[in-house]
Amino acid sequence: MNAIHVAAVCFFGLGVAVVVLTAIASLRVGRPEDRLHFLTPTTSLGTPLIGLGLVLANGWSLTSAQIVLTCALLAITGPVIASAAARVAAMREGEISQRSPE
Amino acid sequence: MNAWLVGDLALVGIALPVAVWIGARGNAVDRLIGLELSGVVATLALLAFSQAVAQPSYLIVPSVAAVLSFAGSLVFTRLLAPRP
Repeated sequence: MNAIHVAAVCFFGLGVAVVVLTAIASLRVGRPEDRLHFLTPTTSLGTPLIGLGLVLANGWSLTSAQIVLTCALLAITGPVIASAAARVAAMREGEISQRSPE
Repeated sequence: MNAWLVGDLALVGIALPVAVWIGARGNAVDRLIGLELSGVVATLALLAFSQAVAQPSYLIVPSVAAVLSFAGSLVFTRLLAPRP
């Protein structure tokens, strides 16, 4: 077990901890907007940490490229679906217009 | 049991049930958030599982799941929006 493997496991464990803790924390809030705030660290922090750990474990290879692709997809699409869900919540509560922004 | 499998079990055993629980109760927007969280957690768990069993060919599943869960969530946001 070398230093890179230890670092990989540490990054992976940190990412898993972020995902698990934010999932549990999102149970404790009531409003959808607050829940969306807890969804953000999962995609913006937990996903890159898990991806970094897996890439360090695999080294430079096609496997790492596919892991980076998958994590990048999650990190890019996470804020998009979070903002879309927040917009739906605001529309259902009558806070914003139902027309698309121009 | 290696470290990857322990992390995978934490994701599948703790985070995924919590996400499914959020997605199974409350109003429609709460359930949508639970669906989004479930998609992310399931994709990460599949990534970890591929590493745990040392089968890189399994990585195609989380790659496709990341795309499909995004598209599915956007479809649900469209359907849940109130009609003008």
